[in-house]
Formats: sequence, C-alpha cells, structure tokens
Amino acid sequence: MNISTYKSILRNWKKMKNIIFYNLFNIFMSLIIILLILSFFFFTLKWIIFDSSWKVITSNLPLFAYGSFPASERWRPTIWIIYLLLLSVITLIGPEWKFLKKNLFIGWLTTLPLGFYLLYGGFGLSPVMSRNWGGLTLTIFLTLSSAFLALPLGIFLALCRQSSFLLIKKISSMYIDFMRAIPLIAVLFFGQLLIPLFLPTGLEIDRVWRAILAFTLFVSAYVAEDIRGGLQSIPKTQIESANSLGLNKYQIKRLILIPQSIRIALPALTNQSIGLFQNTSLMAILGLVELLGVGRSVLANPEFIGQYIEVYVWLASVYWIFCTTFAIIGRHLEYKMIIHK
Amino acid sequence: MNKAIVAKNIFKSYSKGMVALNDISLEVHQGQVLVVMGPSGSGKSTLIRTFNGLEKLDGGTLDVLGIKLDSGYDQRKIQNIRKRVGMVFQQFNLFPHLSILENITLAPIHVQKRSPKEAEDYGMYLLNQMGIESQVRKFPSQLSGGEQQRVAIARALALKPELLLFDEPTSALDPERINEVLDEMRRLADQGMTMVIVTHEIGFAKEVGDQVLFIDQGKVIELTSAKKFFSNAKKERSRKFLNQLIN
Repeated sequence: MNISTYKSILRNWKKMKNIIFYNLFNIFMSLIIILLILSFFFFTLKWIIFDSSWKVITSNLPLFAYGSFPASERWRPTIWIIYLLLLSVITLIGPEWKFLKKNLFIGWLTTLPLGFYLLYGGFGLSPVMSRNWGGLTLTIFLTLSSAFLALPLGIFLALCRQSSFLLIKKISSMYIDFMRAIPLIAVLFFGQLLIPLFLPTGLEIDRVWRAILAFTLFVSAYVAEDIRGGLQSIPKTQIESANSLGLNKYQIKRLILIPQSIRIALPALTNQSIGLFQNTSLMAILGLVELLGVGRSVLANPEFIGQYIEVYVWLASVYWIFCTTFAIIGRHLEYKMIIHK
Repeated sequence: MNKAIVAKNIFKSYSKGMVALNDISLEVHQGQVLVVMGPSGSGKSTLIRTFNGLEKLDGGTLDVLGIKLDSGYDQRKIQNIRKRVGMVFQQFNLFPHLSILENITLAPIHVQKRSPKEAEDYGMYLLNQMGIESQVRKFPSQLSGGEQQRVAIARALALKPELLLFDEPTSALDPERINEVLDEMRRLADQGMTMVIVTHEIGFAKEVGDQVLFIDQGKVIELTSAKKFFSNAKKERSRKFLNQLIN
C-alpha cells in the first residue's frame, strides 16, 4: 500500500465522519446502526465458534467432494480438480511464458475429455458408473460441460439469427425465444423424465448427460443473445475492411466477428457461467447427488438430524468461493482485453 | 500501356432514388495515379468503392485489372478483384482484437494461403519501411492515428496488390500527422504503384496525381491531367471548389 492510497482512505474517512456525526440525530442513528452491525458479527462469530457443531461437515468432507465415488478411486477426481485449479491460477496470473500462453486455450479444452475419462474410467482405469458421481466433482463437471457445449451452440444460434436466409433466421429466433420463455426447472424435468420416453428402447442416455444436455439447450439461448449483442455492436466498417482484403464470409465470421463479439459479451458470459454454476443445484431435486444433493442426503442421516444451519452455511460458503473465483477470472480477462479495444 | 481500370457509363443509385453515380466513364493506366475530388456527398467514395465491389453497379461496365463487372453481382469475380486490389479507409478500420503484425498477416495467411513465417517476414519488411517496426506487438488502440493509417497501408500492401484505393486516407488525422501518411503514399507513387486516391490535399494531389477527376452530384464535371486542373480548370464549378479548398 502506498501513500496515495492511505491519503484516499483518510479522505474518505473524513468525508464519512462528517456525514455520520453531522448532528445529534445522525449521531444517534449511526450509533444504533453500528451497534446492530457489530452485534450481527458478534453473534454470527459466536455461533460459528461455540454454538455450532461442525462435525457434520468435517466427518463428511469426502462425501461433499466426491459423493459416493469409490474411496480407492478418489484420486481421479482429485487430479482433475487440481488440474482445473492450476489452469485457473495460470489464467489469473497471466502467463508471460510463451509456451503457456499459446497452450492455455488448448489446456482449457482438454479439461472436458480429461474429466470425462477420469470420472468414467475405462482404458486402464476401473469404470465408475455415473450414479456414483457426486458432490463438488459432479457440480463442477455439470457446469463445465454445459458451459463448454453451450458457448459454441450459442454462437451458432446467434449467427443463425443474423443469417440472411429467412428460414434459418426464423427457426433460430423461435428457438431462442422459446427457451427464454420457459423456466429452467421445466427444461431439466424434460431432460430427466421425458427424454427417456422418447428414445427407442435399448438406447439410453446417462442421466448426467441428460442433465448436461438440458442445461446446454437452455443456457445456449441466453449465450446466443449475449453474443448477438456483441455482434451488433461491431461497426460495419470492420466487415468492409475484411471484405476488401478478400476474406470470404466464413473467414470474416471466424476471424473477425466471433472473436470480437466474445470480447464484447465477456461480462455477460461471466454472468451466465456464475448463474449456471448455481443452477446446477436444481439437479438435487431431480435425483443427482451434486453438492446440494450431498447436503440433503447428509441431513437425512439420523446422526446429524436437525443440523440444517451448519450444512447450509457450509454449502453457501462453498458456492460463494467458486462464484467469486469465476467473477475474478472474468474481470481479469476483461481487464486484459481493455487494451485490445 | 495497360489499363488498370476502365469504367464505361457507370450508374449507381440508392434505394431512396438518390443517384450517387451518374454516367461516369474513366480510364486509369497502369502506374498512374488518379485523384478524385469533389464536395462531400458528390459520390467520390461511392465511386472508389465500386472499384473493389464494396458497392454494386446499377448500370454500365467496369473493368478492373482485366476482370469485367456489370450490374450483375458475381461474387467470384469480385473476390478475385479484391485479392489483387488493396484499399485504405478514412477511419483506418484495423481489427482491434489483433496485434499490428496479425492485422497485416491475416489476409496473406488466410486469403493467399502463404505460410505464417513468410507472411510475418514480409509484414516486418513493410513495417520496417514505414518506420513502425517497434510497434508490431502492440494493438491498434495503442497507436496514434497516423501510425494506424500507416499500418492500414501496410495491411493493404501485404497482399502485393496491383492497384491501391485510398478513400480520404488523411481526413481523420490530426493536421500534424497528415504528412507521415502522405509521405508513404508519395513513396508508393514513386515506385510506380497504380493508385486511385480520394483526397482534399491539393498540394499532394498536384504533386503525385497524373489525372484529376472532379465530380459533383454523381456527375463528371472535369477529367483532365493534374497539371491542367490545378493551373487552369475549365469549369466554373471546379474553380469555385478549388478556391474554397485553398481558402
């Protein structure tokens, strides 16, 4: 911290002091509010340290992390999550090393197949059925898979919506409007309960993938609208200059329009991914034992009956940590792209 | 001498019935510089944009580097013209998400299918000539207007064009930055590059122009040699315009 930040803190404090203690009434109100805030923190801390019993969390940590993944195979999701954390940290710090810079994107792309392989097993690893997946691992897997599939689908829909071919344009805008008009939970119900009915007997899609499919279909409509906003804010002159360089229409989309629209839509896309992460908790109602689902099943255990507050405070903090991380990474990427605008 | 552009009676009108180009005919020989002048709204930008197919013709024929265009819109032919004709815009129109070098190598790599190495080497050579090689890793927004316009010229040159089109290349620049761009264009003219330039810079036009086309309301008012146009323009309208520009 340098001198100027000290000065600005001091200045702000002086300003605040003038407002808080302006007259007798302000002093009175300020004191009451400060007292309320302090007592809130005091009682919360007192509850966290003395009154609550955290055994419900500590003794179930593996469950929160992996669900009922076989204990001997837990190293697999662990490796995956460590890999994800590592990538996030590298993305955050912003690698100056050229090799990392070039392969960071590829690194993110491999997270999905790698996670798929490590969780499912096969090819030398013992297979684990998806009904044993759970906890934080499943939450992250759902979020990441849906996000990675929804982004290209959303871009595709946005491009279709701007197509000069009327039929394609109408179909894509109808799809987008339809998806935005129904609640997510309805789409998820459709995925879990109705898709199996439509499929011919013998063909069965794993219920984790049915959930991912439903999330992807839903989120892509919103992504499409964010990308469309980006596309519309790119000046026409960009297309003209690309045209005059002899680029064809597909190259213009791929090299000029999509990269620029993603940059413009980035704050909105960060929002979508945070929303998606939180919305995966809806799957707890539909029988997937993800993070919230584990919380519910722990509470159903007679040993920990009635310890709602501990479990939900714990879950809230885990969600909070992850969403904040997303937000920080998003802001960081935005910051890095400011100079490119 | 070979002809780079032959326009015969070209017409262009916009949907509101406004006629942008009204019966324009002209010829540009290879190695020549044609300067297009006229008041704003006269159709000079529209004219230059028809030369690489950014604007469609409504009548007449146009022959650019031996490729013939008419009011039918042939995407293949236009694409072939664009591969051989470079264009520089008033507002630079660099790609903001790409670095300077990437801006320049984009078309050589994706349109001409050259190897990245070759494209980069040639891009560096061009930037070197313009004296902005130190900026290669920067992004367009980090450069001054004059530098951006020079990058735009380098981007157009990277395709090794046979014809260059300039649409008011210095109109968006600060007065003290204009010369660094004009110097590049002078250098190109000296090298014998065929160019069509829309500009208001009289001194520059006098110096590098072989022919001057003066248009108003989409019509040719005067098409003569630069020497004649600036020393004694025939038409009253052109003289008035020149006087206004000088004062």
